[in-house]
This record gives sequence, C-alpha cells and structure tokens, in this order.
Amino acid sequence: MSRLLGAIRGQKLALVGLAVLAFFGLLAVFAPWLSPHDPEEMDAPMLPPTGSHPLGTNDIGQDILSELFYGARFSLLVGFLSAGISTVIGVVLGVISGYYDRLGFTIMRVVDVFLAVPRFPMMVFLAAFLRPGLWTLVLFFVLFGWTRTTRLVRSQILSERNNGYVEAARMVGASDFRIIGRHLLPSTVPIALVRLIVEFQHVILAESGLSFLGLGDPTVKSWGTMLHYAFGYPTIFISDVWVWWAVPPGVCLTLVVLALTFTGFSLEERANPRLRRAWKRGRITDTPEHGEERDGAKSVRLPSKIHAVRPRTTT
Amino acid sequence: MRVAQYLITLFVLLSLNFFLPRMMPGDPLSYLLGDPSTDAPILLTEEMRENLLEYYGLNKPLAEQYKDYLLGLARGDLGWSIYYNAPVSSLLLGRLKWTLFLSGTAAVIYITLGILLGAFSARKRGTKTDVGLLVSVFSLGSWPPFFLGMLLIIFFSFKLDAFPIGGAQSPGAAQAGGFERVKDVLHHWFLPCLSLVLTHLPGIYLLTRNSMLGVLGEDYVRTARSKGIREHRVLLRHALPNALLPIVTTIAMRFGFMIMGTMFVEVVFAYPGMGTLIYQAGAARDYPLLQGGFLLTMAFVVFFNLAADLLYARLDPRVRRA
Amino acid sequence: MRIIKKKQAMSTLLALLLVCLLAGCNSAPTPTATSVPAAPTSASALEPTSTPAPPPAPEPVALTLPGDDWGYPSPFAFYSRGPGYLRMSFIFDTLTWKDEEGVIPWLADNWDVSEDGTEWIFTLHSGVAWHDGEPLTAEDVAFTFDYLKEHQESFQWSWPVDKVARTEIVDERTVTLYLTEPIAGCHVDLVGSVPIIPKHVWENVEDPAKFTAEEAVIGTGPFKLVEYSKEEARYIYGANADYFKGSPAVDTLTFIKVENEALALETGTTDYASFWGKEIEAVQAFEDNENYGIIGGPSFWVLQMIFNTQKTPFDDVELRRAVAHAIDREEIVEQVTHGGAIVASLGIISPFTDWHNPNLPVYEYDPAKAKAMLEDLGVTDLNLMLITTSGFAREAELVQADLAEIGIEVEVQTGDRSTIDGLLREGNFDLAINGHGGIANPAILRTPTWPAESYSNDEYDQLYQQQASTVDEEARRELVWQLQAIIAEDLPVLTLWHPKMWTVYDASKLDTWFYTKGGVGLGIPIAMNKLIFLER
Repeated sequence: MSRLLGAIRGQKLALVGLAVLAFFGLLAVFAPWLSPHDPEEMDAPMLPPTGSHPLGTNDIGQDILSELFYGARFSLLVGFLSAGISTVIGVVLGVISGYYDRLGFTIMRVVDVFLAVPRFPMMVFLAAFLRPGLWTLVLFFVLFGWTRTTRLVRSQILSERNNGYVEAARMVGASDFRIIGRHLLPSTVPIALVRLIVEFQHVILAESGLSFLGLGDPTVKSWGTMLHYAFGYPTIFISDVWVWWAVPPGVCLTLVVLALTFTGFSLEERANPRLRRAWKRGRITDTPEHGEERDGAKSVRLPSKIHAVRPRTTT
Repeated sequence: MRVAQYLITLFVLLSLNFFLPRMMPGDPLSYLLGDPSTDAPILLTEEMRENLLEYYGLNKPLAEQYKDYLLGLARGDLGWSIYYNAPVSSLLLGRLKWTLFLSGTAAVIYITLGILLGAFSARKRGTKTDVGLLVSVFSLGSWPPFFLGMLLIIFFSFKLDAFPIGGAQSPGAAQAGGFERVKDVLHHWFLPCLSLVLTHLPGIYLLTRNSMLGVLGEDYVRTARSKGIREHRVLLRHALPNALLPIVTTIAMRFGFMIMGTMFVEVVFAYPGMGTLIYQAGAARDYPLLQGGFLLTMAFVVFFNLAADLLYARLDPRVRRA
Repeated sequence: MRIIKKKQAMSTLLALLLVCLLAGCNSAPTPTATSVPAAPTSASALEPTSTPAPPPAPEPVALTLPGDDWGYPSPFAFYSRGPGYLRMSFIFDTLTWKDEEGVIPWLADNWDVSEDGTEWIFTLHSGVAWHDGEPLTAEDVAFTFDYLKEHQESFQWSWPVDKVARTEIVDERTVTLYLTEPIAGCHVDLVGSVPIIPKHVWENVEDPAKFTAEEAVIGTGPFKLVEYSKEEARYIYGANADYFKGSPAVDTLTFIKVENEALALETGTTDYASFWGKEIEAVQAFEDNENYGIIGGPSFWVLQMIFNTQKTPFDDVELRRAVAHAIDREEIVEQVTHGGAIVASLGIISPFTDWHNPNLPVYEYDPAKAKAMLEDLGVTDLNLMLITTSGFAREAELVQADLAEIGIEVEVQTGDRSTIDGLLREGNFDLAINGHGGIANPAILRTPTWPAESYSNDEYDQLYQQQASTVDEEARRELVWQLQAIIAEDLPVLTLWHPKMWTVYDASKLDTWFYTKGGVGLGIPIAMNKLIFLER
C-alpha cells in the first residue's frame, strides 16, 4: 500500500488529479454551507447572473450555483457507490472464476450475456418498477459494471495461480480459502483500484447521459439533470442562457473525469506488470547517432549493419 | 467447443431479446395513438383496443408469440414495425448504413490517430511532450459525449453557421447527384464524427501508450537497438506490431459496441442511425422493431467477440504454436 | 522518430485542411425545396400560338414546413398520432370541412338531416375528379363508409363508424347515411373528418394499412403526393391544378424534419413554426422582427392532475377539495410556463369554445384552509406517489412543494409515455399529471380510458350518453354544462393550465395563416388547414 502511495506521490499529474477530486469532494460535503440559496427555493425564472445569483436562475427560478454544489453530491455519490460495489463484486467473482474452472466457465457465460444485453430497456424497466432515485441508478450501474472487472481479475488469477508461491502453499497443505485470501486476493488490488477509477468515470458520464435523455430521476439535483433541463429548454439556441446554465455542470463533469484519469494513470503504470518492468528498468534508451557522445563513450557507425557501442558499464 | 459455447449464449440472448422489450412497462398502443401534445386524442373503446391488439398479434398468449418469433427468425423474417408501419428489416438496413458510415469512419480515424499518438507518447515517456500530449488528448476527450455534441452545435452550427445542426443530409440533396451529394453528406458528417473521435481517442491512445511502454522495456527491443537498427525502424518494425497485439482484441470488441455506442451522438445530432432508431422504438415499445434492433446489436457484439478471440489466436505466435 | 513526427504533422495538417474546406464550403445553410415542376396548368396548354408572348408565369410558390415522419399519407397508413392526419388531408377531402368560423360545405354542397337525426342526406358538388381523372360519384362516398365499417380493426380512428348502419345511393350525386342512433355533432366529427376514398382503387384491397402503392394516394384533394421518404421524414406535395375549389396558391409544399423549429425558421430553412406553452420565449424572439407574422390561437389542450378516486385516500371528495385549495395554480403558470399558459377551466372544456361553462365553482389558493380541512378529516401522515412524464417534472416539483406545505409527502416518479400510460391503466398511482387535447369537443369528456381508470360516476355517464345523441345544439349545451359542473364539484381531476398557442411565419412567403374553429378535422389545434394554401 505504501509503495502504491509512493508511486502516486512521485507523479505530479496524479497529484493534480487528487487535488481536483478532493476539491469536488469537499464541495459535495459542504454544499449546504457553501450554497448561497436552498436549491429548491424559487425566485424569478431565467435570471442572468447577478449579485445574489452568481450563475443566474434556471427555468423555475432556482439558483444555479446552489444546484451545482448539490449536484456534486449526487453525481459523486452515485459514481462512488456504483464503482465501489461493482468492483467488489467483480473481484470476488473474478477470483472464484479464475481459481475454480467449472464455476469459472459458467460465470464467463453469464458475463457474455450481461455484456450483450442492451442497457436501454433495462434502464426503463428498472426505473418503472423501482422507486426512483439513487439506489435504482446504483443497481443499474452495478448490474452492468461488474463484468469487465471480473474478466480482468480472472485473467490475472489464471496467470498467478500457477506461480511458485501458490504451488508451495498448496504443498504445505494450505486450504483453498487461505490461498485465495492470503495470496491471490492481494495481487488483485492494483487491478481493482484501476478498475474502480475507470468504472467511477464511466458511471459519472453514463449517469449524466441517462439524465440528459430523461431516464433518470428529474427531480433530483445532479449535474446530469441540470444539463437535461438546460439543453431541453426551447430557446437554448437562440439565447445565451446555455453559457451560465449548461456550461458549468458540463465543465464540472469533465473536470472530475479528467481528475480521475490523472489519478488512475499512474496507478495503471504500477498495476500493469509489463509497465512495471519497463518502469523499473529506468529510462528507455535509444540508438545513438554517429559520433554522439554518451556516458563517456563515443559512438561510431561502422559501414556494415553492425554497430559497436561501448556504453559505460554501471550497475 | 468454443463455437458451441457461443451458440448456447446466442440462444439465451435470443430469448432475452424477445422478453426484454415486453418487460418494459406499457405497450405499443400508447405511442401508436398519438402524441397528446399535438393533436386530438384518439378515443379508443375497449373493443377497438382489442381489435388493434389482435391485428398486431399482441393478444396471443406469450408462449405462442415466442414460438412465432423463433419461427420467424428461422425464416429470416424480422416482422413488421408497429410504429413505422414498415418491415423491420428494411428499417434496420436503412438506418444501419448511416451508423456504419459514421462510426466506421470515426473508428478508422481515432484508431489510427490513437495508435500513432500513443506510440509517440510512449517513446517520449516522461518528457514534456508526453505529458503535454496526455493532458491535451484527455482534456479534449473527457467531455460527456452529448455535452460535447451540443457545444459543437452551438458553436459551429449556430454561432459560426459553418455546419448544419443535424441530420445526415439536406432534404433534396439526395436527388442532386454525385459530387454535390457527397459534399453535403460530408458536411453533415463532420461534427458528429468529430464528437466520436474526440470521445474515443483517449482510450486507444492510452492503451497503445501503455502497451508500447511494456514492449519497449522488453529484451528484444534492447537487442534491436544494440544491433544499431535505426530508431524509427525499431519502433515501427519491432515494437509496434507486438504492442498492437492486445490492442487488436480491445478494438475488435469496441466494434462490437459500435451500434449502441453512437447512440448519444446520434440523438444529439439527429443522425438517422441505428441508435436513434432503437431509442425511438424503445420509447414507442415497438416490439418487433426492438427485437430486430437488439438482434442486430447482439449479433455485432457476439461476432466481434468471436473475431477478437480468433484474431488473437492467429496473431500471437505463442498461442498459435500451442 | 522523425518519421512519426512527420506523420503526425501531416495528419494534423490534413485535418486542418479538411476543416477549412468543409467550413468554407458552406454558403447559406438553407436547403431550398427541390423545385418540383408543378402540374402543367390547363391555361398554358390551351394557349393559341398566334397571340403575343404570354406574361411571364408567376414565380412558383414553394413552402418548406417543419415536420417529422408521420407515415405514408394514405387514409390507412398514416400514423394516427401527430399531424399524420393533416398530411393525409392535403390529398383527400371530406364531405364537410371547417374554417375559422365553423363548418363549411366541402365535397358535399349541402346536407339534410331527418327529424330523429338518424338519416343524413348529402348532395355532392359536381365536377369533382380524382387525381387519376375519374369522376367522384356517390358510389365512392357510400363505398368509403362501407369499407371503413368492414375494416375497422386495422386502423385507429375514433370515429363512430360502427354507428353507421348502412349507406344508400340515391343518385349520382346524392348519398344517404343511415345511423343506428343520432350522433351529436355528426356533421363535424364523423363526416367532417372521414376522407372519401375512390372505390375503383380500394375495392380489392384486403389489408388497407399495408397498401402503400402509388394508387393509395389518389384522392380529390388540392395536392398530390410527389415524394415521401420515410427515412428522411420528407414529404413533397405538388399542387393539383384541377382542384374543384381552384388551383392552390401554393405550388409546392415540402415537409422536412428539423431539430429545432425556432432555429429553422430563423435561418430560413423553414417558412413557419408553431409554438405552445413554455415555448413562449421562442415566440418573443420573433416579436420585434417585421419579416415575421405572428398569430395567436385558441388553446385546445389541458394539463391536469388526476386523482385516483378508486382507492384511498382520494376516494374522499373532501380531501380532493382540500388539495385543490393547497395548489397554487397561478404560481405554476408563472414559474413553470413563464406566462405561456392560462390557469385552466376546472371543467376541462376549453374557455375558447362555445361549450365552455363560465359558472363553475372556484377553489382559491389557501394553504391555511387546506390544512384546516385536513385536520377536520383527521388525515395525517400521508405519503403519496405522483406519476408523470419527464416533460412535466417541473409541475410535479411545484405540486410536491405545495403539498409538503400542508403536511402531505409526495414522491415523484417519472417515466416515459408508455410507462405512465401503463401505470395509469393499471390504476397504480395516487396522483398523476397528464395532459391531452381535444377539449374543444364535448366528446372528450368521457373517453374510454378516462375517467375509467380513476373515476366512476353513473350520473355522469348517463348525462354523457345523453348529450352524445342530442343533435340540437342548445339542448346539448345544457347537458355539457352540467357535465363540467360535476367535474368541478367532484374534482376527479384538478385541471392546471391551458397552453397558449402561436404560429410564427415568414410573411413574405405566405400570410393567409389562420386557426380553425374547433381545430382541424377532429380537433387538431395547429394551423395546418389546407384552406390556408388555397386562393381565398
């Protein structure tokens, strides 16, 4: 774990990402105190940005800035819950299907089915039969989010389970449970973290998309529903209203997705074994030019295809 | 054995295909009978309702409808669309060509661009160029696709008047032949294609970059370099082909999701593709059309999954030898 | 490395070039309607060669109008939803029609009705021909009604064709319609909207809904179908120069699909746009511009909140009245529609018609009174479900807030139209916000779907049946007023607003737009009456 944090600390990009995420997180947590108005309170509709309404009001007179702050709550919460739960499920199923072959086969067929099932009717179906709101959305995203994680974890387990230490553990008589819990599960952590971040991104974007289409819960304050009402407004093209109504939530969404990308980017370098090797080996060298000095040696290009380069031998 | 696995999966999917649309609450009649916001409502008696249900075969017991559906599939008959009052197959074909055009061209562009930029970035790893490229590619591509689309419309179509607001071609352009038509189609194609390219570019870029990084650290690359082979040759002839291996499967699977993946862009730009067709059919609960549309989508996914597996087996010499 | 850089530079350059090319290529974004050669006028064909050169033919008037795909415009294949009927009405005629004043003779020059209202005799206008040259006769009219009766299950009209007992051909131009019982408003609803179809085309057609050959659009109407593209949602109509009411003033009518009507009108892509309700701000954008004419229309639409009176708690009329006092309808109209609507008449019927009852009870907005009423009823801790489509989510939010103030918890569930329709039919709701048109016609007061799923009242039903067969207008009005009074007192629904309607048009192209009294055909409220395109 500390090595992971070390990796993150070493990368400036990831720091920037985490900072942005922290910013939005704080925004979400402290929304009630930061918002100039109660987002449900109605003033004159369609006001342009003024003193008491820095971003103006929406089509029923609610303060857009306050909506923005509260919207952070819903969007981030849905993303985090969905990504978290589906990653956990994905890891568990992935480990099981990687370790036990027969079960694995069945689980992979289920994965195939879930991957091919169209999401749209499922969304309508769920939305109609369940209470509207947060948990319906979370259910929807979890249902469709666990499959990729399972696949990835399974491939990881498939390659790990033949490793030396697993053999050794088995010879010593360790139970399956112990092998999975003590040895295999921890190896999935880097992948799981990467998947968590990717899934989070996906959910945030997808939630906004669904709300935009009107399939979410239009009464909830989220960045997606703000965009739904903004872009659905009759004079959206004729007036300049979109500047202060549609752009802020869109930009916020983009910033969160970007921040997640930067954070996950360095994690991925650590998580992917091939990348790790390249990383460990240090800087990638290239073929020197004729006459180029490098590390105290001069490169000479001979007239044949074979070059001789005498690098300074170091550790 | 593998083929058998897929056949079973296919059967399950076909059945789901039948039941899913019917699981959605409501039935085709509400959309059939008018948009209450623009016209006089149709006053349906129970009797007329029954008549309609019978005409469309909707009041038969579910098992019988299921049987009819499977038999129809075996005959190659996809049924008749309730909402559009036309054969499903002709509707699908008419829309499919636009989706294939749009996402096909976009795919070619972002895959090529992604691979080139990703390889370049991997080569320059850690330098300002790499980070700069990373930041710019992702800054452009992290926008929610519908948001990006709407902004593009507002800027380029409305403010600058440079591109049309939507659609695939101008009305009447279909009659004008040859070059005029091509120009018109491209004119309508540009913004939606741009949206798709920007949204999907980061994925391929990152994949290539990481794959390339892994490869560049391998021994054989080192060997090639120490043999004195020129750098660009090392990259193109030795590193890239191996780096592309895992990407090929991902790309093949991406193609599988082509139809539904373009739905948002199609809706925003009113592009007459499969995405908008399925969206409309869903809203109207047009069972035959939904079944047909989903069938096509699933077929795509399954086909490309299979292709991905087979392709990987062919390309990776390690697997081939096994 | 250099090669890759070069490749990158090249591709970027290429991309930039492409962008400039495409962007620069664009001149005006207005696609003009393809100039379809109008049907040759009989005048030019008869011109003797010796006369001096004729004056240059007037510029063909071509109108481009916004729309969508509403189906092939044959009488059975058009989508019954939306303006599909209107598209068909340009090609086919009815026996009577309507203009801004009321019913006018059309294919039928005059008509007579027997004392008991069951016999209608129509005399046809002479010299009317089908688009293929065949003359229109009484046979076609009789055939139309017989054919409709026979094929009732394959189309979705709500015209009481089953009440047509039989038809009788008196002579070449006279037809008698025998009804099983008198139908109030028969000359408007039934006869004024059933398109007359040619016997020689349809007599051998088994499945009318699927018959989409060229002959299916042979009618008597002012326009002929030149092109229909389902895929591109485009209709092109050409004028019928031999039309019995004279050659149309418009030579070509093109309907194209546009994403945003206001924008299309502004850029000149289309020549007309219609707006209602919340779109009032789009109308205001055109107000100061002299190039555009704006007419306001009567509103035949109502948004209402439906109580489910079939189960608790709304089976209690007092509770419904309490809720009526708690909802601030003025505020809803202000905040949500921004002045684009008026507070609705509690009796559903539009205040812009002669059927409207002006003496209905009023429930003033008084939350204190509402709360008191709740207390009297001993109602506490109510938790209700309100369903609506996402288009009315804002109204739902306000209702939710208003009811929260008097202590009633409301949960809002939105869904798409089919979902909500399904829930409504099942009676699976407490409150529903839904809207519909057709409120210019008293027939709307009892549709088979409403109030069936949420309200039953025998007295109301009886009154309704009675007025449906009362041919005398005065007597019928009495009954219709009573119906509205029952609705206002018993409150099975709380009506919310009637939207205002506007038509904005390019004044230089055509300025004969008007709103039809009672709506076009059965009550379609938009200004798409074919009369607009004729010389008047």
